[in-house]
Amino acid sequence: MKRSLLLISILIAGLGAAVALAHVMDARRIADQNQADESLYVSGATAKRLTLGFNGLAADWYWMRSLQYVGRKIVHFEDTHDAHVSFSSLADLDLRLLPSLLKVSTTLDPQFMAPYEFGATILPEINSDYAIELLNSGIAANPREWRLYQHLGYVYWKRNDYQKASELYTAGGKLPGAPPWMAAMGARMKAEGGSRNSAREMYRHLYDSSKDKAVQDMVEKQLMRLDSLDDREMIRQVIAAYQEKNGRCPVSWREISGQLSAARMVSTPNSGRALKMDATGAPLDPSGVAYWLEGCDVELGKETQVPRK
Amino acid sequence: MSQMPSDATRRIDSASSPPPTGGSPNNSPTLSLRRTFAIARNAFREAVRDRVLYNLVLFVLLLIGGAIFLGELSAGQEAKIIVDLGLSAMLLFGVFIAIFVGVGLVYKEIERRTLYAILSKPVSRGQFLLGKYLGLCATLFVNVLIMGLGVSLALVYIHRGWDPLVVNIWPAILLIYFELAIMTGVALLFSSFSSPALSALLTFFVFIIGHFSSDLKALANSSSSASARFVFRALYYLLPNLTNYSAIAAASHGTVPDLASVLLAIAYAIVYSALLLAAASLIFGRRNFK
Repeated sequence: MKRSLLLISILIAGLGAAVALAHVMDARRIADQNQADESLYVSGATAKRLTLGFNGLAADWYWMRSLQYVGRKIVHFEDTHDAHVSFSSLADLDLRLLPSLLKVSTTLDPQFMAPYEFGATILPEINSDYAIELLNSGIAANPREWRLYQHLGYVYWKRNDYQKASELYTAGGKLPGAPPWMAAMGARMKAEGGSRNSAREMYRHLYDSSKDKAVQDMVEKQLMRLDSLDDREMIRQVIAAYQEKNGRCPVSWREISGQLSAARMVSTPNSGRALKMDATGAPLDPSGVAYWLEGCDVELGKETQVPRK
Repeated sequence: MSQMPSDATRRIDSASSPPPTGGSPNNSPTLSLRRTFAIARNAFREAVRDRVLYNLVLFVLLLIGGAIFLGELSAGQEAKIIVDLGLSAMLLFGVFIAIFVGVGLVYKEIERRTLYAILSKPVSRGQFLLGKYLGLCATLFVNVLIMGLGVSLALVYIHRGWDPLVVNIWPAILLIYFELAIMTGVALLFSSFSSPALSALLTFFVFIIGHFSSDLKALANSSSSASARFVFRALYYLLPNLTNYSAIAAASHGTVPDLASVLLAIAYAIVYSALLLAAASLIFGRRNFK
């Protein structure tokens, strides 16, 4: 009994000491970002051969590593800067390893769609060539997967290459199982590629076809941005009409709240949302934050969740 | 543990007792089969007594952990990762069982000298090996079956209901089982003439090379030397081609391999295992146990 107690005490004390030592070593370790960005020494093709039939699991590992990598970079950025990371500021994160991580994941398991989708959404903000390379390799491995055409079309649309985007949507729309809107998007992209309405439609389809919460969040923000652009366009028209009538800019929202109320009834027919206003008559952006009146112009409020670009 | 030899011999004794109708009892196919199955049953019971199936506890813990935590880490890919994790663990645990139990099947009987008691009965060395092989295959079958059910339940848990993957993963599980059957044969072959440690090492090498067999073929095709071409081609055909059994990644996407390739892979496993057992019997039959 005594002997058992002694052994249990040694076990507990040893475990405690090991945890304490690990803490000390963690604290001493320099938080060097470059250490986390160590290059991948194994290419996807080599990794696939080394995994001995466990390539699916290895692909999952690299996928989760990609997510952790982006997450870690966001946390580090927000810890060191006085700002939140938005979709438009992804380029500031220095995600130089992300293309390789996604590439390895898809080489290990070419049918794994999530990394393609994630890459199509995130990589164009860093370098769209990486996204195009990733998606082209995906199409080569899965030529009958219409979603990859949708994602590649999106990447080309982001590059303002509407002709190529249209071709990809049209080609994807011909594949078995593709929804009818793919072909319609192809035609729309050709006719009015740069328009806000085609952007809105594309984001909505991207949202509907995605299961990835991060992608859906990004799309929601972009849809909010498009709605906000419509709002601000309409508000500017009201301000311009007020200025023309009174010869000066409005000083407060209350001065034009009547006109805004009238205008909002017919506003934003494409987004399907009506402009809301708070108790002071200030119009609210899609995230529910009041717009800021700046002379004869309107700006997003400081607390807004709507991305600025 | 001390009961095991008596169990084995008793079962073989009862299997060897002449049938009531008379005739030539000792060499009839029915009796041979009964003896083989008696050894197989004993090998299975021995594996269970050796707590081989305890690995299922670890497997279940792995799946529960995966099902609970992967949702946070995988951005909506829980089902795929559960299938990858579950089937990969099934293959890995199975390979370890096939190797470490497989190499001990014969060695333990020699070490404990129970082999003499068994071979003194009307049991051929080939029947002994076949029985041991079938016993371990039965153990692996139970292991794989329970693990497969575990993965299916985890998928139902993740989806909070029915998921087509629950059905679609089973062809891949079947292929894993036959890959393990080949590995058991390899382990048995090595253990018929070598020490357990060396047998385990060699079997593990065969597992690795088996997954590189397409490279052996590529090497043979790209080699300029005729002798090198011959050697690589011979190795390609001699060593088991385990890439035909790698369907885990496809299963995680719900892709079911076509029936013809599954049947061919099963046929290959049966033929290759028969070859391994024949080779093992040949070597084991010539061994001197004095």
